[in-house]
Amino acid sequence: MAAVIWLALGLPTLLATASMLSRRRRWTRYAAIIASVVALVSGIALVVLTRSTRAVTSTAAVTTTAMTTAGGILRADSLSAYMLAVVGLVALTATWAGLPSKDIGDSSDSVDPGEGTYSALLCLFLGAMTLARLADNLGVMWVAIEATTITTAFLVGQHGDRRALEAAWKYVVLGSVGVSIAFLGIVLIYAATTAGGAPTLSWVLLAHPAQPLDPDLIRVGAALAVLGFATKAGLAPMHSWLPDAHSQAPAAVSALMSGVLLSVAFYAILRIRTISDALLGPTPMRGMLLTGGLLSLLVAAALILTQPDYKRMLAYSSIEHMGLLALGAAIGGPLAIGAVLLHILGHGLAKPSIFVVAGRILTAEGTSRIDGVHGLLARQPRLAVPFLTAMAALLGFPPSVLFFTEVAIVVAGFQQGLGWAMAVALTLLLVIFAGLARHTVNMTLGKADSTGSALPSVRPSGAMIPLGLALALVAVIGFLAGPLRDVIALAVATLGGTS
Amino acid sequence: MTDAGFTQVLGSCAGVLILTAVLQLWRRSLSGSVTLLALQGAALSALIGTIGVAAADPELIGVAVLVLAIKAVAIPIVLGRTAAATGARREDAPRINPTAALLLSAVLTTVAYLASRPILGAAPDAAQRAVPVGIAVVLIGFLLLLTRRQAISQLIGFVVLDNGIAMIALLTAGGVPLVVELGVSLDVLLVVLILRVLTGRLKHVFGATDLDDLTELHD
Amino acid sequence: MSATVTTMLLVAVQCGLLLALAPVRVGLMRQVRARLEGRAGAGVLQPWRDLAKLARKEPLRAPGVRFGGALPVLLMGASLLLVALLPLLQTATLVAVPDDLFVVVSVLLLGTVAIALLGLDSGTAFGGMGASRHMTVAALVEPTILVAVYALSIPVGTSNLSAIVSARLDHPATVVAPVSLLALVALFIVVIAETGRLPVDNPSTHLELTMIHEAMILESSGRDLGWVEYASWLRLGALLALVANLAAPWGVVQHLHVLAVLIAMVALVLKVAVLGAAIASGEVFLAKLRLFRVPELLAGSFVLAFLAVTASYLTV
Repeated sequence: MAAVIWLALGLPTLLATASMLSRRRRWTRYAAIIASVVALVSGIALVVLTRSTRAVTSTAAVTTTAMTTAGGILRADSLSAYMLAVVGLVALTATWAGLPSKDIGDSSDSVDPGEGTYSALLCLFLGAMTLARLADNLGVMWVAIEATTITTAFLVGQHGDRRALEAAWKYVVLGSVGVSIAFLGIVLIYAATTAGGAPTLSWVLLAHPAQPLDPDLIRVGAALAVLGFATKAGLAPMHSWLPDAHSQAPAAVSALMSGVLLSVAFYAILRIRTISDALLGPTPMRGMLLTGGLLSLLVAAALILTQPDYKRMLAYSSIEHMGLLALGAAIGGPLAIGAVLLHILGHGLAKPSIFVVAGRILTAEGTSRIDGVHGLLARQPRLAVPFLTAMAALLGFPPSVLFFTEVAIVVAGFQQGLGWAMAVALTLLLVIFAGLARHTVNMTLGKADSTGSALPSVRPSGAMIPLGLALALVAVIGFLAGPLRDVIALAVATLGGTS
Repeated sequence: MTDAGFTQVLGSCAGVLILTAVLQLWRRSLSGSVTLLALQGAALSALIGTIGVAAADPELIGVAVLVLAIKAVAIPIVLGRTAAATGARREDAPRINPTAALLLSAVLTTVAYLASRPILGAAPDAAQRAVPVGIAVVLIGFLLLLTRRQAISQLIGFVVLDNGIAMIALLTAGGVPLVVELGVSLDVLLVVLILRVLTGRLKHVFGATDLDDLTELHD
Repeated sequence: MSATVTTMLLVAVQCGLLLALAPVRVGLMRQVRARLEGRAGAGVLQPWRDLAKLARKEPLRAPGVRFGGALPVLLMGASLLLVALLPLLQTATLVAVPDDLFVVVSVLLLGTVAIALLGLDSGTAFGGMGASRHMTVAALVEPTILVAVYALSIPVGTSNLSAIVSARLDHPATVVAPVSLLALVALFIVVIAETGRLPVDNPSTHLELTMIHEAMILESSGRDLGWVEYASWLRLGALLALVANLAAPWGVVQHLHVLAVLIAMVALVLKVAVLGAAIASGEVFLAKLRLFRVPELLAGSFVLAFLAVTASYLTV
């Protein structure tokens, strides 16, 4: 079992080194895909393994050779295994579907000179996310999350023009500062444990009810940590970097950032919430997360309605989904937390698909303005159909799992007596739904105008397979009650979702 | 080291940390700011070293050496080179004038003292009593980040913020584990390096390193 | 001999010492500066010669001048009172007039007002301009002095200057404490500003537009000018001696003894000489700040003093 963890961490690093050094460009192109597969396979393997060990030990702790402190630095339980599998699945979709964009002859999306570096950074990015999921130590988790900022900085600024540079600068500064605040919070949490004589950053020990902790320090520390990670997760009001970064990064990178990077930061919030709830009860965290969630929905609703740029529109949709996740986390309880975990998976699959398609539309149409794209269905059916399908999945049309998770979160909210918040959230969701639908209809339907029809129809070669698989999965997950329910239930139990 | 002597050295290091942070608000010359930053890094390292020696903790002394290498030497050198390479010399027009910023720093210090009440227990020891200074350094770092227009000054603000956090970590918890500290220091160094590269590109693309030029992306 | 008489005697010695040495200190500072700039210099006794020359000359007053020779004498009186109040040689004080922080600051302010009135009284544009600038600086300086010395007084528990010096003498460790360092730096900056040295004001400038102190005494001449110059030197000397005594209280008499008083006098002369020489050599490398940057400097020193106050609650 330890071997799986080491493999999941070591292979991406190895691949990154190899693609940095490799002279053969064709090979490096697939490095990120291999890294994604590694993450996926090890994630699934760990899910299976943690299920089997659970029968034996109650904590399902996996001790590795890296065990330097009592708690061990690395650790895989049902939750981290599930999250790792999600990372792998989403990354596979994003990198596989994002791959052929280099084959299209268009020079604007070309990253040839640094393609080895590009792949290496992607691999390192995946490695950092894997580490964030597998770290038991809050400090190490923090280092891994900060490492995701570092590895993605150049990916965001890949195009090197004014807008990309601006996005990259804002992303790095805001991301690093936010995460620094989170570190301050973690430090205070660490300080809260010194009273007990054995200072620790292991979140398993921190969440243990018997751990002697200073409640005042935990209160301040957890608030700061959540605030900091919320910056990285793109929750309002610390979201301002997100639309810039997501709209300027290459499609595959936007897809990865939106699909999993946000949820990595959110995973940190979930862990901190567990620590805080165990000691202080759910009230303090619930207030913060509820505020963040509703504000995010509000910001997303306001800016999606008037959005002229479809890549930014998708970025604001990410903010909306993060807001929903925050609401789910604020509600708590097995139903809401289970729905949150499933929502992370569903959103993680739907968002990369649509980002990749949006990247193709940008390449084909040459503009990222919504009013610059008309009658896509008539002119570019090969782009319009996946775009519409992915958008339908994202909007939560019933076969999509996002429909079920959204309903579950709202129902759980009403059950927990947060009716007013749910009413507000539902209204905002409707506004967002209307806004997204209106923009999508404007882009795809209608007859082809004379200027655009001169462009040849673009074949999104190859991209259809991963997109199709991902979207099919989004549609099917909701009905995969059998195997998935156990996995989610175990993960929820790890988070102490019974509060 | 005697108890009184320990408190003295501790207090002096904390004093230098806050002083260098406040002076950052006043200095306009970028090379002066970089020197102040190096001084601040050295003071932080001395603070860690003092506590390490007092607690006879070899790990903390190792951290002190690490911090000295990164915060007092590596980062200032990188920043100095960036300033030289981009030709940026002065922070001419910060968003609020230095007089107001200086007075604001006095307010922030008061806020830091009030905010640290719940963090400090009923009977804080010598190290814990310096925690408000750390919070004040963090807040002043924020102020620098928010009010500066030059790319390098913003970077300096980030490092000041980070120094403040490191100080709080040290004073409240006696420092974080070495593995984490190693990762943290490395991360900060990498962020600074990345922002350095981005600054170079900004200079190349925009012709200046004035962050007010970054206005193309908005809603 | 009763204690009061002894104290009076000591205060008289203190005043006499400063009166005698204030011009010499100015001469020393000019000499150091001249040597550093590669000039021969006029010698340390030149200010005394200047004073002697001015004292022999009839003052020339414009027809509209109200207060005539009164203001220079008032200024001189304020400076002398300041010297008498400060605990420079000994920590025992006159019972009738406590050398309380607030009394000292108000005496300081009295001198400031006198010289500003002098500038206004001359009726010229430059005099008025100088007076207005001087009051601007003073308005920023006084609170800083109050706050800085307040910071020093917190550990002692009294605002009595001699008690503060005495306590610092008893506990040398407090001198290098961060509180004390911050407060001293703040105090030093405001003393520089209050007495019109670089970088706030250039005492040797010939450009009327940049003047502060010089602009106010531009119209004074003869004996009047002599009094004003003497009083200003005395004031700077007293404040420098105060800073020196707070920074290095050693040598100040606590238990009366003739030998101790002699040592204290030598120590005071040395301290002021060293500080003066240091300022003079620092000034060689400084340019005058533009006037609108002066508030920045003073706000900075105020923040330092403020930090000293907050930090003093840290170490209580």
